[in-house]
Order: sequence, then C-alpha cells, then structure tokens
Amino acid sequence: MQPEHKLSFINRLRIMRETRFGAFVPVLLALAAIWTYFGLAVPLWEYWGDPDAENIRFIFLSPRNIYNLFMQSAVIATLAVGITVVLLLGDIDLSAAATAGVCAALLGVLVLAGVPGPLACLIVMGVGIVMGTAQGVLVAYVGIPSFVVTLAGLLGFQGLMQKILPTGNLNVGDPFVRGFARVLLPDALGWVLALTCIVVFVWMSLRRQAQRKARGLELDSTAAVWGQIVFFGALMLATVATLNSYRSVPLLIVLLMAITALVGWITTSTPYGRSIFSVGGNPESARRVGMNVKRIRVSAFAIVGLMAAIGGIFGASRFGSVSYTAFAGGSLLLESIGAAVIGGTSLFGGRGSVWNAILGALVIGSLGNGLDLSGASAADKLMFSGAILLLAVAIDAVSRSGTSER
Amino acid sequence: MSEHENKVGLRAPPAHLRVSGIHKRFGGVHALRGVDFEVARGEVMALVGDNGAGKSTLMKVLAGAHAADEGQFFMDEAPVSVNTPHDASDLGIQIVYQDLALCENLDVAANLSLGAEPVKPGWSFLPQLLRPLDDLEMEVKAQAAIDRLQVRTLKSVRAKVGGLSGGQRQAIAIARAVGADGSVVMLDEPTAALGVAQTRQVLDVVKRLRDTNHAVVYISHNMRDIFEVADRICVLRHGGNVATWRKDETTPDEIVVAMTRGLDDEAGNAA
Ligand SMILES: Nc1ncnc2c1ncn2[C@@H]1O[C@H](COP(=O)(O)OP(=O)(O)OP(=O)(O)O)[C@@H](O)[C@H]1O
Ligand SMILES: [Mg+2]
Repeated sequence: MQPEHKLSFINRLRIMRETRFGAFVPVLLALAAIWTYFGLAVPLWEYWGDPDAENIRFIFLSPRNIYNLFMQSAVIATLAVGITVVLLLGDIDLSAAATAGVCAALLGVLVLAGVPGPLACLIVMGVGIVMGTAQGVLVAYVGIPSFVVTLAGLLGFQGLMQKILPTGNLNVGDPFVRGFARVLLPDALGWVLALTCIVVFVWMSLRRQAQRKARGLELDSTAAVWGQIVFFGALMLATVATLNSYRSVPLLIVLLMAITALVGWITTSTPYGRSIFSVGGNPESARRVGMNVKRIRVSAFAIVGLMAAIGGIFGASRFGSVSYTAFAGGSLLLESIGAAVIGGTSLFGGRGSVWNAILGALVIGSLGNGLDLSGASAADKLMFSGAILLLAVAIDAVSRSGTSER
Repeated sequence: MSEHENKVGLRAPPAHLRVSGIHKRFGGVHALRGVDFEVARGEVMALVGDNGAGKSTLMKVLAGAHAADEGQFFMDEAPVSVNTPHDASDLGIQIVYQDLALCENLDVAANLSLGAEPVKPGWSFLPQLLRPLDDLEMEVKAQAAIDRLQVRTLKSVRAKVGGLSGGQRQAIAIARAVGADGSVVMLDEPTAALGVAQTRQVLDVVKRLRDTNHAVVYISHNMRDIFEVADRICVLRHGGNVATWRKDETTPDEIVVAMTRGLDDEAGNAA
C-alpha cells in the first residue's frame, strides 16, 4: 500500500512538471515556504517569546526588505539566466561569475580612464561574448568537457580580474553605469507597464486559444487558461504595488525582466531555441536532422558570456564599486548555478526554463536575506543553501522520467 | 557487382537512387567495402544481412548522417553529393533510424518537425533561426501524420516522447519520415518493437508508399515480412554485396544461406 502511494505521488509530480506552468510549482512552493517561515513564523515566534514586545514586526515581508531582496537577487538572476541556457544543452559553466568579475573590473577601469559609460558597457559586453565564445570553441570543436574548460576559465579569469584590479577594489561613479540601479520608474509608469504586460498576456492567451479552436486542435481547459492569467496578473500587480509602496520599480528590475523575456522567447519559440533543447535531449538525433551541434554549443556559451557581462554591469551599478569578493572570489557562482538548478533546470540537459531561474534566484536571495535578518551566521547560511540545493536536485532526479524503472 | 547483374540485370527497373563503390571506415573498422545499392520508384527494396553486416551504416550514409569515405551517388542517374543530412532531405531522402533518433524531452509535434520547423510568415527581417516558430502548424501537421498512421493509442501530439511506449515511439519515427514528402523512404528495422497489429499497419504503410510511387528501402530480420512486401532483396555480408534477387525468383532459405555464408562464387556465376 505504502510504496504504491509513494510511486503515484512521484508520478504525479513528474506529470505536473511536464506541463508548462507545472514546472513552476516546486520552486514556487519553496519560495512560499521560505517566505512563510521568515515572514510570518519568525516574527510571530519572537512576538510570543518576548513579553516586552509591543507589536509584531514583519521585517522580512516589509516593502523595503522586498525591494532590497529583488535588487540583491538581480545579479544572481542575470547570471542564472545565462547558465540556464548552457544547462539546457547538458553543459555547465563554472566561469560565469569570474567572467562577470573580469567584465565589471574592465568596466570600472574604462570609465575611470574616461571612456563614456554607454560605450564602456558595449565594450564590456563584447568582451563577455568573446570570453564565452572562446570557451565554447574549446568545448565544441576541441571536445574538452565543459566542466574542465570552464573550471580552467574560472581560475584563469579570477587571476585576470586580480591583474586588472591590483588593489582588489575600485569605485564606479559613472552616472550612466550607476543609473541602472538608481533610476526608478515613476509610480504611474510602473502601473502602466504592469497593466500593459497583463493586457498583452491576456490577449495572447485568448488569441492562442481561439487559433487552436479554429484549427481544430485540442484546447487547454478554460480554467487553466484563466488560472494562468489570474496568476500572472496577481504576480505583476503585487510586485509593482510592493515596490511602489517603498520606492518604486527600479530600472534594473525592468531591464532584467525584459532580457529574461527575450532569452525565454528565443529558447522556447524559435528554431534556434528548439535546437538547444534538441541537442540537450539527444545530440545525435539533433545532428542527424541536420542541426549544427557544434555551432549551437558555441553560441550558447556566447550567450552565457554576454549574460555574465550584463551581470557584471548590473553588479557594478548596484554596489557602486567593483570588488574581487563580490564577483569572482565570492559565492556568486555557486548561488547562480544553484538558482538555475533550484528553478528546476535539469543538470542532465534538455529541460528547464529561464523564468524558473529567476524564481530560483529569488529563493537563494530570500534565504540569504532571511538568515541575515534573523542573525544567522555565515556558516548557517552556507549549510542552509546546501540543503536547499540538495533538495532541488533531488526533486529533479525523482521527477526525471524513467528514474523509477531503475 | 557481377552477381548483382547476373541476378537482376537488365530486367531491373530504372534506379531512382543509386550508389556505387561506397566505402566507410570507423577508425580501424571497415564497415562498408565498396557497396553498390539501388532502389527504383514504385518498388520496395529489402536490405538484409546478419548483425553487423553494415545495413544501418549504409542507410546512414544514404541519409547523410555519415559521410562516405568513397563512392558515387546518383539520383535518376544524375550524379549528386550527399554529405550532410540536409543534402539528403533536399533530395527527398527520408529515413527511420534503427535507434529512432527521437528527442525524449520534446513532445510528439516537436519531434515530427525536428530540423525543419515551420516558422510564421512575415518575420523576414530576422534570420531564419530566430523567427517565431509556428507551433500550431506543427501540431496540425503532426496530427495529420499520426492520423495517417492510425496510432490510436496516442492521446495527444503534445505528449512528451519520453513518456511513450516503444511501439508508439516507433510509430512516431515512421510518421516523421513518411510525413516529410520525400521520394525515397528508408526504414531500418521499423517493426522491431511492434506487436502483430502494429506490424501489419507498418507493412500496409510500406505498401501504400510503393503504390504512391515512392522508392522504399526496408530493412528487417523477419523473412516473412520481407517476402510479403519486398520486390527485390539485396543481401549484404561483412560490409560487401552478396547479390540482389527478385523476390519471385528466390526463397527464404536461399536468402538465409546467402546472409550467413555468402554465395559460392561458381554457383553464383552459373545461375
Ligand atoms: N559509429 C560507429 N563507430 C564505430 N563502428 C561502427 C559505427 N557504426 C557501425 N559500426 C560498425 O560497423 C559495422 C556495421 O554496423 P551496422 O550497424 O551497419 O550493422 P547492421 O547490419 O545494421 O547490424 P544490425 O542488424 O545489428 O542492425 C559493425 O561492425 C559496427 O561495429
Ligand atoms: Mg542495423
């Protein structure tokens, strides 16, 4: 009785993760659990445990903290989006954070030397692409496993960053670069943007449903369609309301969402994206239908290089400085790989989504933020992050089709 | 070559796809040693041979999945070159691989149009690879291909291939080749995972392809099936030709002997 029940649960999990929105459920549950714990359980616990407390203080769920949480997770999320693309191929990139570090350091040096901000950003993005492409060529054409190539890249780029920044720290004061994190959308514009997104989402969902009907294809259930719409709308409105009630929507977040939407569209809705999934699922059959597997590999590494450079720019903008520990030498790499994997992107290739990486980054960010607020030590943070990562990979392993037969 | 002409000779229909002198080496393994092969429109050519004879390798060379080390290709007697899968599909050569070559992480519709995804019209300012996929068109096509094969157990073309049975996967691989509008369809052991009823359906598909003037290559180890659908039977052994027979002029026993022992040279020339 017991094993049967368990199997059906795993099967249900597997079926759920096959659907497009179902893939969000595990990471959303993780997020909900973390937010409930830090946002409700901890404050209540403190309130009841402390007779002197006047009223409950919901620090974690305060708009100010959520705002900071979003900003803290933004750099992780940018890198995680890039890493997701190579994970989809079944490869890995261990050098993303170091690439971001090199790019940020270069950006700092360039603007200090008087290069205009926009030009410096473009140069740095080009450098990121070159760094990614070079590693991709080694993986695809020379045939070295990506783990080894990017491990070498990690070490080499850490060294390179130290060469560029001998002091290990550089302030970035350029107004254009700082602008990404400083510029806030006016409250009204934030609402307009959110409403526009919702209207477009509704219009596309309904149009798609109508087209399916016209062509006689099987229809999604009306409940599912409207469920998605309500879910999406609630998420957008809640986010904007929260951010507006502290300051307002930062440009950084809007840019991150736009980039993610673009990468998400490319990976799910173009022949190129289809070929990424296909190479991740079965490289030999991708080759046999005429896809250029090597070139696809290289291009994915170029994308992760570009995203790392953007992450570097965002980081420099947010911190107002570039430091070795914030990028190459710190925990950024493991956090961003962790974010991608917690989001449900498979390490075995062929399954995942960049939107999940954003949610995964929020999970990682919330965990760090919540533990900081409750005064946990760095050691606790590391151990908690490890446990969450393990849990996420375990979910991936059991929900991968065909695992239970072994 | 000589046995080939002896056995079929001038009575063979004009070849649609013909290759000659195909060599293929994998490192030290000399898998094909100067193979000649041909198939005409409106006929089913069976390709038989023991395990490791080189049947699948020959099919992959014809489909452009492996480039031949040596050898000539002719379409309707005009020389062509087939070095990539695109070359082959542009010439109208379609194949069902022995290992099916499906992507388990993608759904049925995506697998059926893999490598030739339809894109929406009107985005010509973007490079082909970055235009929006027309996934509804994909589903419509997939549904049509599946309906033609009558895979009744398949519930949805949006099901992931990883969750399907071996027979359903085989049906999808067949649908991919048959649905692609080629003039040559090659099936490498397409009934290996199928039950009696589905095998019958595949044989019917093969006959229908012949009746619609396709050139069909059919690989199987099942003599009963072969003698049911084939017009000619080509035997390979150790990467070389043994001979080609008309079905009406041979027997399963003769084929089995040719597969396992080859032809006695004198016997072959005398016949
Ligand atoms: N990719 C490869 N690399 C190395 N050797 C190969 C490769 N593909 C085939 N071979 C070798 O080529 C020979 C012919 O193999 P092939 O798969 O063509 O046989 P087959 O006639 O299809 O056999 P079966 O009936 O078992 O499918 C075998 O000796 C095999 O080991
Ligand atoms: Mg074979």
